[in-house]
Amino acid sequence: MTDTMLPRPTSRRAGSPARRGSVFVALLRSPVGLAGILLLAICLLATVFGPMLYRVDPIEIVGRPLLPPGAPGAPPLGTDEVGRDLLAGLLNGGRVTLLVGVAAAALSTLIGVVIGGLAGYLGGWIDSALMRFTEFFQVLPILLFAMVLVTLFQPSVGMLSFAIGIVAWPGTARITRAEFMRIRTLDYVRAARAIGTKNLRIMLRLVLPNALPPIIVISTLVVGSAMLFESGLSFLGLGAPGTVSWGTMLGDNRDKLAIAWWTVTLPGAAIFLAVVSISLIGDGLNDALNPKRRKR
Amino acid sequence: MMLAGLRRLANAVALIVAVVLLNFLLIHLAPGDPAVVLAGEAGGTSPETLAAIRHTYGLDRPLPAQLLSYLGQVLHGDLGHSYYFDASVTSLIWQRLGPTLLLALSAMLFALMLGTVLGVTAARRPNGAYGSAITVLSVVGFAMPAFWLGSLLVLLFALRLGIFPTSGMESAIPQTGFARMVDVGQHLVLPTVSLGLVYLALYSRTAKASMVDVLGSDYIRTARAKGVGPRGVTFKHAFRNALMPVVTVAGLQTGALLSGAVLVEIVFNWPGLGRLALDSILRRDTPVLLGILVVSSVVVIVANLLTDLAYRLIDPRIRTGVAR
Amino acid sequence: MKRRLAALLCSVALFASACGGTASPQGQAGGAGDTLIIGGPLEPRTLNPAVQSGMVTALPGAQLFASPIRYGKDFTPMPYLAKSWEFSADQLSLTLHLVSGATFHDGAPITSDDVAFSLESVKKYHSFGKPMFGSVSSVETPDKETAVIKLSKPTPALLLSMSPALLPILPKHIYGDGQDLTKHPRNVKDVVGSGPFKLKEFTAGNRLVLERNDAFFLQDRAKLKQLIVKFYPNSSATSTALEAGEIGMEISYDPVDADRLAKNSKLTVATTGYEAAGALNWLELNTKNQYLKDLKVRRAVAHAVDVDFIVNQLHAGIPQVAPGPIHPGSPFFSKDLVTYNHDTAKAAALLDEAGFPAKADGTRFSLRVDYNPGNDVTGKNVAEAIASQLSKVGIKVEVRNAPDFATWSERVSKYDFDLTIDTVYNWGDPTIGVSRTYVCDNIKPGVVWVNMAQYCNPTVDQLFASAAQEMDVEKRKQQYRDVQQQITTDLPVVFIETQPIVNIYSKAYTGMPDGIWGAMAPFLEATGAQAR
Repeated sequence: MTDTMLPRPTSRRAGSPARRGSVFVALLRSPVGLAGILLLAICLLATVFGPMLYRVDPIEIVGRPLLPPGAPGAPPLGTDEVGRDLLAGLLNGGRVTLLVGVAAAALSTLIGVVIGGLAGYLGGWIDSALMRFTEFFQVLPILLFAMVLVTLFQPSVGMLSFAIGIVAWPGTARITRAEFMRIRTLDYVRAARAIGTKNLRIMLRLVLPNALPPIIVISTLVVGSAMLFESGLSFLGLGAPGTVSWGTMLGDNRDKLAIAWWTVTLPGAAIFLAVVSISLIGDGLNDALNPKRRKR
Repeated sequence: MMLAGLRRLANAVALIVAVVLLNFLLIHLAPGDPAVVLAGEAGGTSPETLAAIRHTYGLDRPLPAQLLSYLGQVLHGDLGHSYYFDASVTSLIWQRLGPTLLLALSAMLFALMLGTVLGVTAARRPNGAYGSAITVLSVVGFAMPAFWLGSLLVLLFALRLGIFPTSGMESAIPQTGFARMVDVGQHLVLPTVSLGLVYLALYSRTAKASMVDVLGSDYIRTARAKGVGPRGVTFKHAFRNALMPVVTVAGLQTGALLSGAVLVEIVFNWPGLGRLALDSILRRDTPVLLGILVVSSVVVIVANLLTDLAYRLIDPRIRTGVAR
Repeated sequence: MKRRLAALLCSVALFASACGGTASPQGQAGGAGDTLIIGGPLEPRTLNPAVQSGMVTALPGAQLFASPIRYGKDFTPMPYLAKSWEFSADQLSLTLHLVSGATFHDGAPITSDDVAFSLESVKKYHSFGKPMFGSVSSVETPDKETAVIKLSKPTPALLLSMSPALLPILPKHIYGDGQDLTKHPRNVKDVVGSGPFKLKEFTAGNRLVLERNDAFFLQDRAKLKQLIVKFYPNSSATSTALEAGEIGMEISYDPVDADRLAKNSKLTVATTGYEAAGALNWLELNTKNQYLKDLKVRRAVAHAVDVDFIVNQLHAGIPQVAPGPIHPGSPFFSKDLVTYNHDTAKAAALLDEAGFPAKADGTRFSLRVDYNPGNDVTGKNVAEAIASQLSKVGIKVEVRNAPDFATWSERVSKYDFDLTIDTVYNWGDPTIGVSRTYVCDNIKPGVVWVNMAQYCNPTVDQLFASAAQEMDVEKRKQQYRDVQQQITTDLPVVFIETQPIVNIYSKAYTGMPDGIWGAMAPFLEATGAQAR
């Protein structure tokens, strides 16, 4: 799997507070961002409201295995290798994947911003110590580490989010550090320090808001990576037991691809589209938040 | 220069120690008796086995002493004992390391070479059809789960078209010498593409972006003014500079590459570390799992050292020690 | 710099051409002439059938080791290492006349001493050695080519027990060196056998390569030069490889898949085979489990399991329902046994009665279900179906995966399980394959396919013992009818279905082992070449 954060040029814009409303508008105006938002909206609506409208238990066996979509008596999207309803699986399975994606990204952003922020703002030995620490997490093969964690501590939705979040932050930390280092030398920060404003207050009130754009972009992308991770772990059969996830569906039916394409193709496409939507939003945000690129 | 090299080396050793420390922590933080954790299900929980484990790991001694002896053990290459196989973890991992490295390296090379070429050529007209195709490729590559791609490739190229074998690293009939290399090569293609696609996307995008930046820089403008032709500019002047971010990104991705290999190995039934890791989880063979974590971290650390070296070779400023 | 880039492009091109230029890998991979590759989840722990029952050992075991008698298409015994044999009038002695000049793979002669040693070894170490040869009081060796087996009581299943899968003839000078036979190092490498093939290579996780024994004692040695067993993680991966032409044969346990592959014009799905195996797929219960030790709970489980769904939906109606411990195809099968219809209300009532009322969330207690891995359709999928069915009566069931046979067998044989799906063979005669999983003295920790339910009922022991020496077929049937009734009353196992075992192979091969023992018999006639 990939924890790939596509590196994008970080914002080089002089510190003016982020204008959230206009960013959203800009995002909607960029075709890439709009496509992403629409795709994500479809995914969210389907997974949040889908199970309420289509009330079939995704774990329940409802019929003969491997019924193709549209076969007489088959559920709309057919059945899987045991005879479970594939549509029910897709609608419910997205919940776990999206939830873990968001929760893991939140945790990862929190850790990344705290560590990167402290390192970038304080500098000196604290910086080098924290960066060594970050480097350590960068050399851990992430999926393997998450596999070890869920094995030793029983898999659950919470554990999955934790295991992914705890390893996905180094990219965020590096970007935060770079932004904080840049912003702390700007005049208004110097001025604030000169009048004796406390460091914590400067960091939270003055530096962080202006460092946000690239952090938001990378956090968005981490959501995508985290979803891929969750799918990967579930694919390996290490997902939260008793829950259905797109990755689990793909892993369970993998061997049936040759004879029942829908069992593997559909969950795979669901993961793919959800991550694409996140990735497009990331791209759109990057354009919207980065005036230099917007001009181009 | 020497000093910098030594510092990198010391840093690498420190990282390895840290990974071992993490392993030690995990054994002790996991719920339950560490001896039981280490025995897993496989060895059963016979009192003799547990006693043997307590003795080997010194679990009856105070924590710092345990840590010290564990560190010493690992640094001597002893990663513990698999109670399932009744064999040393090091030997088990050693058998599987080769196939994983083969797969990872071939995916890396595939992505690096093809990615750089695609990116550099796309940079000439970044917003043309070709340039946009590279952008689309990068979005697709990022979002495509490697295990899904692998399954689709098997369906198309192995089952429908019959061009490549469906799984494994070599054919059932024993072969030797060149015939065997060709055989393994054929088995390698689909896993390499499955694992490499995401990096192909990443590197082509990185190469394209940095090439665009470099082409717009003063340095290139000067070269152009001096009458260097477009080809000369692209390849002689800009390429080297554009390659550096790609190498940096490649170095950062080694850990992710190994992670991806786990999934691809499962899809293709590739006899590597990833397959062993998953089997060890299902067998509750914890020492092997933790051993794999250590070994693959060491692989990443070594890969980072090599990246560093490559960087120095490419970038003359670093090579000559001139500060930026 | 320019040159370097050219080199780079060149190597990319090379890589691409390596990708494109591989004309037809399956041409060589499928097994050129005289070679047959059998694929499947077939990785054995040992190659010595004297110490391990089951297909994965018996398949290579029957190639490496010969036995006194073999069987073909029907239950008529055929000469093998014994060119002839005769029973005494009182049925208490069997004389075997061995082929003269037969040798082991190391050139040493095969003598009656080796036959005696092998029979004693099987009796002592095999998981059903006792049911098969418990009545053998001694083996006399009047000369090197004659073995006389003395019996303490008539033994109707004796000849069948002398098949290759059950009585491999081992060289005493190798395996009789005093080491524990179950852990003998030469069970997995440097095997010295007596059979039509010799061991060339056994690589864990990869393959087993056998080559023809040109000094075999039969006039017609094996036709194939090379027989390879390639290990796959499961049956789906195996079918994929068979369809892609990478292997020549698979032994399918997946009725649905066999049905599908029958439509493939390049493949033959055998219509006969494995009649002697009498395989059943069932749910075994750990009767020492804190919940399952209660008969009411076991009955509740039996009522909660929807056998009809498993047989007719999950497995498309291809297997038969098997309501008891004896295969419905056996002459000793009785319809007169206790059956449990699918009735969730009754199951719930029984659980209430047993003192396990449903809690607020609807659950009563939790259990784990294991399955013999390798054949997902009859293993994992049945486990999942049963987990889903039991959840409806408030028993929460976790399906526990095992990566390989060894892991699963380790768990269940050491009683670290609650429920397990398992495929168990009747082995031709109830004396051989049925009693072993129920009699009290066959509760053997660490041994798989014995009485893993740890069930013990003296009445059952008694019935099995007398049926094993009853030469009157009608009386034997009576006794087995009683056994079937008693076992289905006590429910150490919830019986589900027959397990079809089918050879599927490329049309390029002929003479394939489709006899009563299937691939657990020597591949003497098989021949063919993979079409390129």
